[in-house]
Amino acid sequence: MTNGIGRAASALLTYGLLGLMAFLSVFPFLWMVLGATNSSIDIIKGRVLPGEFLSTNVDKFFTQVNAPLVFWNSAKIAILATVLTLAVSSLAGYGFEIFRSRHRERLYRAMLLTLMIPFAALMIPLFIMMGKAGLINTHIAVVLPTIGSAFVVFYFRQCTKAFPSELRDAAKVDGLKEWQIFLFIYVPVMRSTYAAAFIIVFMTAWNNYLWPLIVLQSNETKTITLVISSLASAYYPDYGVVMVGTVLATLPTLAVFFFMQRQFVQGMLGSVK
Amino acid sequence: MSDLQLSDICKSYGSLEVIKGVDLDIKSGEFVVFVGPSGCGKSTLLRMIAGLEEITSGDLTIDGERMNDVDPSKRGIAMVFQSYALYPHMTVRENMGFALRFAGVAKAEIERRVGEAAKILELDPLLDRKPKQLSGGQRQRVAIGRAIVRHPKIFLFDEPLSNLDAELRVHMRIEIARLHKTLAATIVYVTHDQVEAMTLADKIVVMRGGVVEQVGSPLELYDDPANLFVAGFIGSPKMNFLKGAIEPGDGGQLCVRLPDYGGAKIPVQLKEAAPGTPVTIGIRPEHFNETGPAALDLTIDMLEHLGGETFAYARHGKGDLVVIETKNGRGLKSGDCIAARFDPDSALVFDVNGRRLR
Repeated sequence: MTNGIGRAASALLTYGLLGLMAFLSVFPFLWMVLGATNSSIDIIKGRVLPGEFLSTNVDKFFTQVNAPLVFWNSAKIAILATVLTLAVSSLAGYGFEIFRSRHRERLYRAMLLTLMIPFAALMIPLFIMMGKAGLINTHIAVVLPTIGSAFVVFYFRQCTKAFPSELRDAAKVDGLKEWQIFLFIYVPVMRSTYAAAFIIVFMTAWNNYLWPLIVLQSNETKTITLVISSLASAYYPDYGVVMVGTVLATLPTLAVFFFMQRQFVQGMLGSVK
Repeated sequence: MSDLQLSDICKSYGSLEVIKGVDLDIKSGEFVVFVGPSGCGKSTLLRMIAGLEEITSGDLTIDGERMNDVDPSKRGIAMVFQSYALYPHMTVRENMGFALRFAGVAKAEIERRVGEAAKILELDPLLDRKPKQLSGGQRQRVAIGRAIVRHPKIFLFDEPLSNLDAELRVHMRIEIARLHKTLAATIVYVTHDQVEAMTLADKIVVMRGGVVEQVGSPLELYDDPANLFVAGFIGSPKMNFLKGAIEPGDGGQLCVRLPDYGGAKIPVQLKEAAPGTPVTIGIRPEHFNETGPAALDLTIDMLEHLGGETFAYARHGKGDLVVIETKNGRGLKSGDCIAARFDPDSALVFDVNGRRLR
């Protein structure tokens, strides 16, 4: 009897905590969607119910913002950054794991240490470098500093540990060169790892704010995150319009996650079984 | 079919020498098996033949051509790996034709060769499946098929059956033997399973610590081992080793006295051995019988009845266990005292360094 009550109390506590966590996770998203249907005043008053201002907010958003251009800018940067990051970092992760050398571990640890340097310490030198290279106010300047990601290299190296060395040997016996082994064997075998990394890198690149804010200076080059930020920091911000922008900005990352979630989970568990 | 020669082959990782001057001559069409305990260097030697490990020194020749620095794909070899190493993203057909595609072989020819290999290995219904949809035995057949389509001069097998269950292993062993007959191919095969070695090989190479201990046909190694290691490694259950010393026997014949076995004296035929020399005599479990002139007084510790035969594990006092194989052991019980008889001519004698004394 006592056991039964104890178990029920424990279940109640567990479900209560999980419910609270779920609410904390879902509520901001719900509030954002409901906010897009309300007026700015309603939002400030804290209304969390569907409103009647959706079409007004959408009209205002598309009037105030050159949406196709900013979405295109964001997409261009996110896709370019993702493709280049995956190409460079997966090659580096593969190389760190497969090729032995005396300095491999030292070099790898030095690379991991760069994870501890905050971006705030890098942005001024980066800005100066981009300025000298004549890249300020270009999308290349946004993409370049992100493609050699220590975290993604680390992730690929860890996943490469599960890549069977016998596959590489078999490919060598079959006549493949190192680059062919990487391209025709490693990449397809590790596709779940790539999918998981794609989601992480794409979301980071799409949501990137601070560096684009510094390096992109004209309206023609700005991304959706910068535009939403400027809408929110206007003298009289229209929060309904901000919410519409935020909902629209969230959709591409949601779509990517939705279509690749299976591979994402597989990639997190390990591509090779 | 092709000849393979290894001349004074060495392999070192820094200061660690793992293969220490191997000389070997493999004739065209031979089935050669490398056996030895884990870490003896048999897989490393195979990988050196394949070109997957660099040769530190020595010469590797195939058909008289030095191959030390030749790319694995250009050596005319094909390799079957322990874990099959099938490309998981390709179908069976693609896996089998992959090397040919890279070698620039025409599509029609690839199809023909894949079809031919699939027919030999009965893989036709599986050609469009991915490796994950196959059983262990089917995967192994695909791995062999992938090797066959290349029409290699030499097949290399690296413990190909160790991932299979016992029943399938026996089945695949027969398949590989059949394949060797059909293709009349030169095969170099690595295993730690001496049953595989004994049943498949024309020639067995026994290795230990990077050194070839003995090369010979399975029965040569069984009947006439060069040293204690080979004698113990070949044969299952392994040979019994009893420590003793040379003593002069009756009529001038030498004998070995076994102090741990009640001072039993075993007459031996040796050309030269000084009395008092410490030696080890080896008796195979199956060489015990009911009529032999020599005998050991033993007490049975444990019995294993396998139906056709019985293995009795017996000892004298607190001495080492002696394994006895008998066809008439059904009536035996633990604790029985027996006189384990054998023919002293079947006993082998080894010196303190493990070298065979003749």
